[in-house]
Amino acid sequence: MIENEKIRRLLKMIALNNDQEAYKELFVILHYRLKQFAYSILKSREEAEELVSDVFIRIWEKRDQLTLIESPRLYFYITTKNLALTRLKKQKRENSLSPENWLVQLDSIYFDPEKLMITEELSRQIRKAVNELPPKCRMIFKLIKEDELKYREVAELLQLSVKTVESQMAIALRRIGKQLHFEVKSSSQTLSRKKS
Amino acid sequence: MNQERFWVLFSKKITNEANLSELEEFEKIILENPEWQYAVQNFCDIWDQKQPENYIEAEDAFLIHMNRINEGQILFGVPQNGLPEISNYRKKIKWYWAAAILFGLLVSLVAFKIFEGKSSNQLLAKEINEISTRPGSRSKVKLPDGSTVCLNAGSQLTYNKEYGKELREVTLIGEGFFDVMKNKEVPFIIHTSSINIKVLGTVFNVKAYPQDKLTETSLIRGSIEVTIKNRPNNKIILSPNEKLIVKNDELIDNGKTENKNGIIPPLSINTLVSITKLKYSPIDSTVTETAWIDNKLVFRDESFEDLAVQMGRWYDVSIEINDPVLKQTRLNGTFQSETVFQALDALKESIPFRYQQTGNKIIIHR
Repeated sequence: MIENEKIRRLLKMIALNNDQEAYKELFVILHYRLKQFAYSILKSREEAEELVSDVFIRIWEKRDQLTLIESPRLYFYITTKNLALTRLKKQKRENSLSPENWLVQLDSIYFDPEKLMITEELSRQIRKAVNELPPKCRMIFKLIKEDELKYREVAELLQLSVKTVESQMAIALRRIGKQLHFEVKSSSQTLSRKKS
Repeated sequence: MNQERFWVLFSKKITNEANLSELEEFEKIILENPEWQYAVQNFCDIWDQKQPENYIEAEDAFLIHMNRINEGQILFGVPQNGLPEISNYRKKIKWYWAAAILFGLLVSLVAFKIFEGKSSNQLLAKEINEISTRPGSRSKVKLPDGSTVCLNAGSQLTYNKEYGKELREVTLIGEGFFDVMKNKEVPFIIHTSSINIKVLGTVFNVKAYPQDKLTETSLIRGSIEVTIKNRPNNKIILSPNEKLIVKNDELIDNGKTENKNGIIPPLSINTLVSITKLKYSPIDSTVTETAWIDNKLVFRDESFEDLAVQMGRWYDVSIEINDPVLKQTRLNGTFQSETVFQALDALKESIPFRYQQTGNKIIIHR
């Protein structure tokens, strides 16, 4: 989990002291998630890589203003989004601008078979359920489950209401629940999970 | 029960987004349907599985990122190789040296004309400004940039005449309360025997008496960065209402072992420093650490031994305790207008002891 407190602390060290080590640490902890997010918009690994680098150049240039941001983690995602959209506009790839057309990369839900009594078949089914979610729903699910953003942060990033995020998450969980064979029935009788 | 509601509540619970009433509502649903508990638990277990973090790719990407900057493909707001200011700084230094030498020549020429007969040594000696307070007295200093420093008893503050040009650098021995003018361009740095403190603009207290066991930095507002001497990589950032305590003895002992063996001892930073909250007086909620500015000697849960050192500085006397149990006794209190004897008599109310005075020295025993 990328904590705001940690990011804020590193940003402070960069702002106060031009701290190179802190700058590197910040890059390293955020790189993977931001690159994934950039990729979902740009759909090119090379461009996503370059974009993360651009984001961090901007961070360095603006370092003295960064200590006051309320949610630094969200700031990184928003900067990534804005730079990616600017890039798309320059390339005249207007049809990729809408979040509906973003390609969400999911690490899928991570399973450690040693720790969980689940079969290969079951984990395949869960992945399938996640990947079959509608694009917007999948993006919201990914940002909350894997990137561990808050509902409020996802709402601001994707310019949705918190209520929308809430209902999209409920849809995602219900669909995964279905694959895990626990469905909530009004009769309240059959909620069970197959063990093998 | 509304299915939709169940899933909304469950998602909020699992992502830590649910508030208290939502959690209660969820509990109620589970109580009504106890057979769901097992499934909910399984779902939570799957949810909590985290992918192991792997930063190898990110570290490679960082190298590429820095190369990209260095190759000058990017108009970077700072000098080459990302190492801020190094190359420009050297150039600047050369410049300043030339200017300083020229300026120095001019000054001595003019000075020679004006103060004919006075030796230039006297002028050179003035390059360092020194303000010191005797034990038993306190004083307030205004620095050239408008920052103020209150000096507690038996303390010394020095700064050179270059103060404020590129750096605002001072050296502190003893205790000072700093109110630093904001100036992002010119950082304010305080050197003490065990730590360095870097600030941008803020209010805080530094207690760094060489004879004390601890160096204490108390932050009232703003933000400061502290580095420990000989450990430049350990940077500690303090937030308001926090106090950083550094053990001087261990730093010095540490230094000795280092010299003897020629290796850096693996002493963890955590054994050297600790961060606590500032202490507030329960009566008027003033901060204990800075009460001395209002001419109050305030102590909270202080050992008699440590208090004796403070009282010695405060009243300009030397206090010696001859009893190991008395030394370790913890004390609370405030002295303001009392004489040293009134203060000692007040302490006798809570712990029984006797004292003898000979000249400037007070000896305490059972």
